[in-house]
Amino acid sequence: MTTPDTRRRRARLGLFLLATVLAALTVFPLLWMVTGAFKGPGEVGGTNLLPQSPTLDNFDYVFTQVPFLRYLLNSFFVSAVVTVIALFFHSMAAYALARLRFPGRDRIFLFIFATLLITFPAVLVPLFVIVRELGMLNSYAGLIVPAIFNAFGIFLLRQFYITLPTELEEAAKIDGAGYWRIYFSVILPLSRPIMSALAVFFFLANWNSFIWPLVITGDQELNVVQLGIASFQQQYSGKWEYVITAAAVAAVPTMLLFVFFQRQIVESIKTAGIK
Amino acid sequence: MSGLSRRHVLGLGALAALSACGGPARGPDAPMTFWQFYAPAPQQTEYQQQQSRWFIELVEAWNSEHRRKIELVYVPVRDYLGGAKLPTAFATGAGPDIFLLSPGDFLRYYNGGALQDLTPHLSRQVIDDFMPGTLETRTVGGRVFGLPMEIEPMAMFYSTNAFEAAGLSEGDIPRTWDQLLGVARRLKAAGQRGMVFHTVPGYYQNFAWYPFLWSAGGTVTNPDGTSAFDSPATVRALSFWQEAVRSGVSPRTLPGEDDPTVAFSQGLVSLWHRGIWTVKELQDVPDVRYGVFPTPVPEGGSYTTSLGGWAFVANARGRDPEAAAEFCAFALGSQRPEAVQRIVDWCIKVKTDIPPRRSALDKAVAQGGFESGVMRTFLRDVLPGARGEPRLPPVAYKAVSDAIQATMLGGADPKAAASAADRAITAYLKTYRGAEF
Amino acid sequence: MNAQTRRERIAAALFLAPDMVGLLVFLVLPMLLSLVLAFFQVDGFGGIEFVGLDNYARMIDDPQFWVSLRVTLAYVVFLVPLLFGTSLGLALLVRQKIPAVGVFRTAFFLPYMVSVVVVGLLWRYMLGDDIGIVPSALSGLGVPAPSFLGDPAYALGTVVAITVWVSAGYYMVIFLAGLQDIPREYYEAARLDGAGPVRSFRAVTWPLLKPTSFFVLLTSTIAAVTGGFDLVFVLTNGGPANSTSLLVFYVYQQAFQFGEFGYASALSSVLVLVLLVWSLLLFRITKAGKFSYDDA
Repeated sequence: MTTPDTRRRRARLGLFLLATVLAALTVFPLLWMVTGAFKGPGEVGGTNLLPQSPTLDNFDYVFTQVPFLRYLLNSFFVSAVVTVIALFFHSMAAYALARLRFPGRDRIFLFIFATLLITFPAVLVPLFVIVRELGMLNSYAGLIVPAIFNAFGIFLLRQFYITLPTELEEAAKIDGAGYWRIYFSVILPLSRPIMSALAVFFFLANWNSFIWPLVITGDQELNVVQLGIASFQQQYSGKWEYVITAAAVAAVPTMLLFVFFQRQIVESIKTAGIK
Repeated sequence: MSGLSRRHVLGLGALAALSACGGPARGPDAPMTFWQFYAPAPQQTEYQQQQSRWFIELVEAWNSEHRRKIELVYVPVRDYLGGAKLPTAFATGAGPDIFLLSPGDFLRYYNGGALQDLTPHLSRQVIDDFMPGTLETRTVGGRVFGLPMEIEPMAMFYSTNAFEAAGLSEGDIPRTWDQLLGVARRLKAAGQRGMVFHTVPGYYQNFAWYPFLWSAGGTVTNPDGTSAFDSPATVRALSFWQEAVRSGVSPRTLPGEDDPTVAFSQGLVSLWHRGIWTVKELQDVPDVRYGVFPTPVPEGGSYTTSLGGWAFVANARGRDPEAAAEFCAFALGSQRPEAVQRIVDWCIKVKTDIPPRRSALDKAVAQGGFESGVMRTFLRDVLPGARGEPRLPPVAYKAVSDAIQATMLGGADPKAAASAADRAITAYLKTYRGAEF
Repeated sequence: MNAQTRRERIAAALFLAPDMVGLLVFLVLPMLLSLVLAFFQVDGFGGIEFVGLDNYARMIDDPQFWVSLRVTLAYVVFLVPLLFGTSLGLALLVRQKIPAVGVFRTAFFLPYMVSVVVVGLLWRYMLGDDIGIVPSALSGLGVPAPSFLGDPAYALGTVVAITVWVSAGYYMVIFLAGLQDIPREYYEAARLDGAGPVRSFRAVTWPLLKPTSFFVLLTSTIAAVTGGFDLVFVLTNGGPANSTSLLVFYVYQQAFQFGEFGYASALSSVLVLVLLVWSLLLFRITKAGKFSYDDA
């Protein structure tokens, strides 16, 4: 005889198995990449998930043949600087849009939102011209400055600031605080959670960007990691043991980032979605 | 000459103004830049290091004698071939002073006024020293705009191991398309991999396909510049590649990600239609035994193959176009013995190519560059009758490419594909105002 | 205007200035230049000529434009519902009281963290005709493996499937947030009425999830129309036989392989137009970015 209780337990077991299978399928390619990095040339085209004779040669090769450490540092530097400046600028703009009254506010917000629809391939060439005229070709500035401005962050922060209660601001106003002080000592501290979430997102987006660095840098010294692996793949096309190792080296930092900042990332997506 | 290319419209605003000024970004005495795709990074294989070193030594030789210095800039090859890098740089006036150009791109750069005339820096003897079929695709109205550094013919490479495993010998080497398909089928039946024709859309695929079009008696354009693409020969050539894929003897993607060392050593390919540079790539790869034979022809067709290779060109809007042109002549168009020897070194020591100048070829032969089996085959059997890669403007290139892709991989009707491409080329030519093809 | 209002306005201007200047210089100005360029023939070497609507006339006669439009349409039509269904399904799944649910959430989200370049390389490695594990596994099961990246019948589907793999976790989290906002009592009430899981989904979840669903549908459509470029660039380069030549890819090809910046601008203005319509729709539905149940 089946009681509702055992039926529910069975259903739960079924769901658990389903989730296990789906999760295994989802993670398998990533796992295949990571274990592939430990396979020798004889095994990399094989069908075993785990290498029979694991080796670190690929890492040795990748890091000695190509200045991958340099690429990783470049990516880290560019992504970190963009993230910090962008968060600062965006929260300022979002504060004005959400908490200050001025004519044309909704129009300006609509305008900012509309820039989300600009497709990158459409603006690549004019953007290149502008960056060149500003003397930022082939420099960190060229990698950083154009990447800062993005409506996504302004939009999200504004949505967040709208929901904040007005009491704290009012209290600060009564104390005679100016707008800058209100922003700095009331709004900024309150935005910590969403800022840390956004920070992860900005960092990720910049860490993963590819076409723009490809077009504006020529100097090997300025290579970011995505560029590094793409050009590595061109040179070692068929040697999958090296290529997949390079891919794993580029992917692991962001995957670790996720494991450490999981909560923030999930928060920021939720905020982007609703409210 | 194109009238439109330099016409600037007043009042368009920033873009035109900005891109027009162009020129040096770093002051008048800044070194000229030379973009090429031979990586300076430490490499696994000796020959790649040597190729990169060849460029470094060439530039050092120039720099030691000239006030206007040159600086090498390495661009990964995929960014170079069909990448955004070169076009973006030129569109904004930030193009390199000297760069490598393939015939497929020649007209675009020439019609855009980006190529400096090299003729003033070349003597008559040097121009005559270049082999037939090499300067034509870089010449407009008798003026030379690019100097080839190499000649790279296409041929069939076959795996000796695969042939032996299928019970095939040198006597079975095919001369016609039907025989070629027959050999490929026998290889497949014996459990070996098949025959590879290039699958990725791009200038190179067209280049690899032209020998099939030509040997069937076809051509893309007539001498008078009209389209000749809608022909039985086109249909025949398209059908042949289509049949190879449809019957399963040819793969839809490249083995070993287009890396012949991996593909041949791991037995992922039996026959591969590739260029002469493959000889260098396969050199010193353990367990690889292979041979070469000329590209087969259709029944009743006459043999030909296509000649590739890159050329040095000078940017007419660079920092110092005259010096850049002089550099091209210094590197490849000089009669000094060390300059000729440099071409020989490039073609037989650090690469396996055919020297584009007779004097260099004679030297290369004398220095033993064509004694080994496959290189001898290239010089004796593959090269005679070869034709230079045609220079087509992008629209015509794309029409041909679409026809190849649609038939070979998409299973489209070759007749319909040929006439669709013909219509596109004809429509384009009506308004085309650039140099002749 | 009193001093207070004026101070507030000046403050707002100052707060907005850095981002507004940046957006104008690095996004709007390039966009305007690009729209203007659509009326010019540009040779890619600084030569430029006003040609009126010629680029648009050329577009109508260009078979590749229509092919790319069709590919883009197919991409959006396959991708959006598939992504929607998969991510909603995953969200419903990881909302159940099952053991180790946090691990499952992490697993489903993880691919989103990997860059497109890596995704492209990884799937070339997985799907390669000669060494890929997927074809090997299929042949091991006795199923003849198609050429996932070399057969036009499969290539676009492959790109769609990989995109679902990458992005489903992202939309799953958005759905999870929406699901969390549905009060528990509603489900209790449905259960007391004797509703099973299917009926309570239809009676409670689906109607109350509508704002989230709208958001996911509209944003994933925008992402599909403007996106896909990077993946196609690293995975198929538009081939085989133009089967993955999305409009964004064709724009790129015209601009950067052929130097036809004017024509490319005209092509991309079609994308801009499509997205403009979508964004207006988005604003109508979401009332300037504010989402609430009343909208549903």
